[in-house]
Amino acid sequence: MAQRPQKKLFTRKKTCRFCGDKDLAIDYKDVKTLRNFVSERGKIIPRRIIGTCATHQRQLCEAIKQARQIAFLPYSGSSQG
Amino acid sequence: MRRYETIFILRPSAGEEEINRIVGSTTQIILDEKGSIIELNKWGMKKLAYLIKKESLGYYIFCDFAGTPDAVAEIERKFRIDDLVLKYMTIKTAGSITEEEIQLAITAVSEKATAVADGEDDDTESEHLVEDEHEEDTDEE
Repeated sequence: MAQRPQKKLFTRKKTCRFCGDKDLAIDYKDVKTLRNFVSERGKIIPRRIIGTCATHQRQLCEAIKQARQIAFLPYSGSSQG
Repeated sequence: MRRYETIFILRPSAGEEEINRIVGSTTQIILDEKGSIIELNKWGMKKLAYLIKKESLGYYIFCDFAGTPDAVAEIERKFRIDDLVLKYMTIKTAGSITEEEIQLAITAVSEKATAVADGEDDDTESEHLVEDEHEEDTDEE
């Protein structure tokens, strides 16, 4: 029987950035940090891709939505597009 | 007494006088309801992420205060009437706050202000936000 190719060879372990760095707080006013967690189109990047833990993803989600409300982040599109 | 954060966006055409009038009336409402202001900050002109009432720029004002729900309702009522206010958002950051905690927060804010004046340093603000994260809710129009 042929061996299955080792798929996992080059996948890097994804870790939660907020767990790793305790100083990094989730704040809806901190647009620079939140920008890292939305796609170019302004969508929230899912947990399975970015690797944040459930607790932080939940808080992050809330923060992004609040930032959208007050026009720090776009609802869609990069900005005004 | 609860702790709130309010951000409101004014039209870019608003003059100095009008900005002061709105800020003045807002603070007056908070003080009338026996609340106290922890931080009041004019962030100034910023680019909006999307158009609001056909404006692409907005004058941001941030206010952190301890007050009653009645005060918030009154402030938001005023904002809705005022044509200069493009958008506002109030967030509850703490369900209850005592007199000492208010004083502590005020000193923390003033320390931060001096630290910022000395150099680039804004990591002091993160402390109070972490503990209250799960309690916050949004009041929207």
